[in-house]
Amino acid sequence: MIIEPGVSMDETIEDASASHLVGFCSQVQIKIEDNRVLLILPTAEEMPLELPWSEIWQEIKYLVKQREQSWPANAAVCLVVGDRLIDNRQLQSVEEVLTEAKLRLSAIRTSRRQTAVAAATAGYSVEQNLLPNPLSLFDVPPPSTEPVEMLAEPLYLKNTVRSGLEVRHPGTIIILGDVNPGGTVIAAGDVFVWGRLRGMAHAGARGNQMSQIMALQMEFTQLRIANSVARPPQKLPHNFVPEIAFMSKTGINLARASDFMKTHSFLLSEDCWVKKN
Amino acid sequence: MSRIIVITSGKGGVGKTTVTSNLGAAIANLGRKVALVDADFGLRNLDLLLGLEERVVYTALDVLAGECRLAQALVKDKRLNGLVLLPAAQNRNKESVEPEQMKTIITALAKGYDYIIVDSPAGIELGFRNSIVAAKEALIVTTPEIAAVRDADRVIGLLEAEGVSKINLIVNRIKPHMIEENKMMSVEDVLELLGVPLIGVIPDNEAVIVSTNKGEPLILGDPGSLPALAFKNIAQRLEGEKVPFLNFASDQGNILTKLRRIFGG
Repeated sequence: MIIEPGVSMDETIEDASASHLVGFCSQVQIKIEDNRVLLILPTAEEMPLELPWSEIWQEIKYLVKQREQSWPANAAVCLVVGDRLIDNRQLQSVEEVLTEAKLRLSAIRTSRRQTAVAAATAGYSVEQNLLPNPLSLFDVPPPSTEPVEMLAEPLYLKNTVRSGLEVRHPGTIIILGDVNPGGTVIAAGDVFVWGRLRGMAHAGARGNQMSQIMALQMEFTQLRIANSVARPPQKLPHNFVPEIAFMSKTGINLARASDFMKTHSFLLSEDCWVKKN
Repeated sequence: MSRIIVITSGKGGVGKTTVTSNLGAAIANLGRKVALVDADFGLRNLDLLLGLEERVVYTALDVLAGECRLAQALVKDKRLNGLVLLPAAQNRNKESVEPEQMKTIITALAKGYDYIIVDSPAGIELGFRNSIVAAKEALIVTTPEIAAVRDADRVIGLLEAEGVSKINLIVNRIKPHMIEENKMMSVEDVLELLGVPLIGVIPDNEAVIVSTNKGEPLILGDPGSLPALAFKNIAQRLEGEKVPFLNFASDQGNILTKLRRIFGG
């Protein structure tokens, strides 16, 4: 038996011009590579609206503190800043945050001379990947225009996403805690909330209709999957069961999570989930 | 080791300054040395609530400008031994002070007082950052309204990001009869959302309005009133004592609900 409390399908927005797809990489990312932690800042190109440094710094702080610690103590960190201009003070502030989290800033990867100089003066090793010289005699192959749709490793957060916080990740997001009203979670993959989902969650934010949102208690203010939006039903159930939100033919639906995979399958031809017979 | 506590809320008008003055007085009443710092530059009120307005000579800005010593700017409350106020400047705005300067002042104060209680302005801009810069602990004041709770949630997130991890909650202006009729968010609803420990519940009571208008903290003016008792309890909880929460609905409700309230069920 499937319970499908009627999530209002009337609110689904199909208008392509009102696209809710989110451009990614506008946030700081953490990757682990060859036993060291890469802290990747968004490049100026990825971010048309320049974020003030204080916000980037806040993001670094939040990520380093709340991310499930998957690195050994005192691990080396390489700060990948791309074409961003970073001065000595900013480097110092990053180092303070990392030291608090028992991480060690060891290297800076940059394509800007000034940043490289600042990093070297401060005593960090510098990895320079300078931009291709425009006067070079050799043809540099142009960067591929087709972005590869690769999802990043899941982001695992052990914390409540409070009001005002927006978590974005180009992969799946797993949250052990609540998403409070006013909090936002945006993932290119799925969204798992091991707690109450009371804020906004957006799965498949790059357009993947197969993406799903799961929560122990669905009390969201809004759900988005790919291009669709759903509001909560007028009447909330009294007893919450873990539920899963998915794209059906008619829009975003909810179903009980425990037997979802047994009762539903994804139809590629329709680009949505359908009930198995 | 002195304790530096910021009192903040995000939303304005929920009772930060009232809590600061009354709680400060209640702690001083327990025999502690308490310095209250008004961080609401440009819209200072704390001196009014304490009834110390006419005795303000220098402000925190004068100290920073080097026009007076810190001890000169502190206004001693003559009614309560051990309670002093560091007033904010009224003629400037919140941008006139930097977080680093605020830190210097508060660190200096910490040498002479057991408690430094900072009254933060509303909002999350520079004034707020100034008030939390030196704080080790925070008391979040909220009323049982969705806007206040939402802002409190945001502020808790910001405090956590700043490394202030000891955060307690005061729910102000509770109306027990409205909660019983299910017309107001209950303390439990607020707690469930915010997920920080509760340290006090203050009932909505006319005695608070009377005392603020008289410029006399409740502990002095109306020590027998319910809110005065609530503040006294918060002061004792801050001191590490276990004090049961007040049951405001004592005249109504059956024995079971009373017991549930007492045991925090």
